[in-house]
Amino acid sequence: MPDVEMKLAEEKKEETKAESAPKEPLTPLAEIKLNFTFIDRAVSTLEPRFTHRVLRTLTTLVKKLDDSILRNSIEEAFPKESATKSTLLAWLPSASTDAEMQVDSSATPTTNTNVVTSEPVPEIDIYFRLLILHQLSKSTSNVPKAKQLAIETVQKMQALNRRSLDSIAAKIWFAVERVFELGGDLSEARPMFLAAQRTAALRHDDETQASLINRLLRSYLAYSLYDQADKLVSKTTFPASAGNPQYARYHYYLGRIKAVQLNYSDAHANLQQAIRRAPPATVAPGFYQAVYKLFIVVELLMGDIPDRSIFRHAVLEKPLKGYFEIVKAVRTGSLSQFQQTVLKHAALFQADKTHTLITRLRQNVIKTGIRRLSLSYSLISLKDICVKLHLDSEEDAEYIVGKAIRDGVIDGRLVHEKGWMACRGAGGVKRGYGAEVAEIFSRRIGYCMELHNQSVKAMRYPLNSHRKELADAEGAREREKELAQEIQDGELDDEDLGGEF
Amino acid sequence: MAHNQLKSLYTDLKRSFDANSPKCTPALAQLKIGLIENGLLTPQGEHNVDDLVVARDILEIGAIWSIRARDVPSFDRYFSQLQTFYTDYSSVLPPSKNEYPIRGLNLIRLLTQNRIADFHTTLESLPIPADAIAENPYISHPVNLEQWLMEGSYSKVWNARERAPVEEYKFFVDSLMGTIRNEIASCEEAAYESLPLKDALTLLFFSNQSELLKFAQERGWRVDLSGQTITFTKKGEEQAEIPKQKLISSSLAYARELERIV
Repeated sequence: MPDVEMKLAEEKKEETKAESAPKEPLTPLAEIKLNFTFIDRAVSTLEPRFTHRVLRTLTTLVKKLDDSILRNSIEEAFPKESATKSTLLAWLPSASTDAEMQVDSSATPTTNTNVVTSEPVPEIDIYFRLLILHQLSKSTSNVPKAKQLAIETVQKMQALNRRSLDSIAAKIWFAVERVFELGGDLSEARPMFLAAQRTAALRHDDETQASLINRLLRSYLAYSLYDQADKLVSKTTFPASAGNPQYARYHYYLGRIKAVQLNYSDAHANLQQAIRRAPPATVAPGFYQAVYKLFIVVELLMGDIPDRSIFRHAVLEKPLKGYFEIVKAVRTGSLSQFQQTVLKHAALFQADKTHTLITRLRQNVIKTGIRRLSLSYSLISLKDICVKLHLDSEEDAEYIVGKAIRDGVIDGRLVHEKGWMACRGAGGVKRGYGAEVAEIFSRRIGYCMELHNQSVKAMRYPLNSHRKELADAEGAREREKELAQEIQDGELDDEDLGGEF
Repeated sequence: MAHNQLKSLYTDLKRSFDANSPKCTPALAQLKIGLIENGLLTPQGEHNVDDLVVARDILEIGAIWSIRARDVPSFDRYFSQLQTFYTDYSSVLPPSKNEYPIRGLNLIRLLTQNRIADFHTTLESLPIPADAIAENPYISHPVNLEQWLMEGSYSKVWNARERAPVEEYKFFVDSLMGTIRNEIASCEEAAYESLPLKDALTLLFFSNQSELLKFAQERGWRVDLSGQTITFTKKGEEQAEIPKQKLISSSLAYARELERIV
């Protein structure tokens, strides 16, 4: 990667003197302008890397954008009588006179020095549309307008049908989804996504495909259509070359589907992947929190207790408070505390869509309770179990303990005539000890291996650099020859040899 | 089939359904053909709201009737067809009073077939918020049943038999009892060494001893009639087997990967 940056810096120097100091923070206007040169180059050299570079700064750029910046940059990018320009400008709210004056004063000098005469590549048009979409979705009042623009942009994109558009298209789809979601009619966009997904799959357009699969999953899950989401997952393959953010999302959605289907260990693996692939907690706190919420519930459902340190994390501490209380209740095996907590935070869990998952925890709470009792007592009457676990009747307690024994939660016996439970120490320790450890070991090794292999795969080698190496090798060989010559000539003393190598 | 013919058939069906007469089956078959001809069985696009309501009613009657006729696969088909009306046309159609009973029946059906994953998926996709489930008697019934089954409160399941919100639920609850009995039996085998006959009778919800004896015979329990006890045959402690194959293959895999790295 560093070589690319270097090259770019060099080329930049050649192009404009104003941009010769790239270390200074660029104004959004300059940044957009710089991005054009990249997009232009991406199209002319068929190298998607430049476009990726542009899109990488998208989130930070969008935050700094406002209407006048967009207007100015559009003015600059397109020739004076361009039809594209006027259509683009039409989407922005007409500037007030004050702003217009600013536009004029800043725009005139630049257009004078750097007059654009030819129509730029369509990618730039689409890039602008992407920026405008993001700008419009900042306020809810613009949503209908944004929706119209979204639909038009999609049509335009499909009509253009340029492969150099692919990576921008992936981002456009995200913006489209966002707009529809803000408008509250995500299901309307679904047929559009499905059609586009089909096309993307046929063209092996990995980025768009990854983006669209996530869009679809999100839209299915938003309407709780887990069946359809599951079918989508089983019918599509998520492109392996997709970027980390897309992967993180995908894993999160998969985790959610799996958790609903009671497949907790898979859900756990998926969510762990999502956490590992997600951007740092400070950059994307929302995603981080959402994943962790689900992760904690799934971990509890698997019968594990999440790490205490999770709840002390700066980003997670506050939003996870309700979940922390649930964990405490499950850990102590107190049914009444559990139920109280669920009632207290019902609205929170409802909003997070974890409520039904949490109600499933009830049996885990009971199991933990029984287990604790079996560890601390060698003989306990059913009545006491009933009182301690807040069960409704002794009869229930008998069945529940019976089930726990059968499921291997505890190792004990029920003596019906006397109405007690006899426990045989901590059960399940010796059982399957070796195999279990081996399995966990192999899982961890597997993860490390995968990480290693992925890293190897992700390594990039600068183009043509092997030529330099070849030249170096040539030189080295030359020197070696000389050295050999010198040795032969007997002119070499030890010091020189040390210096040479 | 003409529209008014369909209408008259529909009123006929309604009458025989209310009277609970077996005429429903042929009437339903005929009506379904009529619905297909009018494109209403699996409607797409815009339709007359009244027509859709009638189609939905017919399918609902069909679903409930299949339960009465003890035909579960047929109920499954009707339920799938009703999905279109419940989800895709939910914004157009007035809510049906039969919707939740039928959804609840479907949940119980999944429960009796031991399709717990499907049960939860269906539950999750219900169009009502999770904390409102407790207030909906049709849905809360199967939800409670599932919870009790999972935690092992079998007596509650047994008692809930009487509290079914709709008559049709009982059909499933009865078949659920068979499953529960087997569950309890397997728990007892693990949890007790021996059990007095009298207590086994109550634990397994049998009303008389001969039923119990027959059940005990099926499961291979030793019954001591003179001592009035049942002794459970202990299955020998299962030897923890070392998964040799797996260990070998994973060790080989580690070696291979190491080789690749070094």
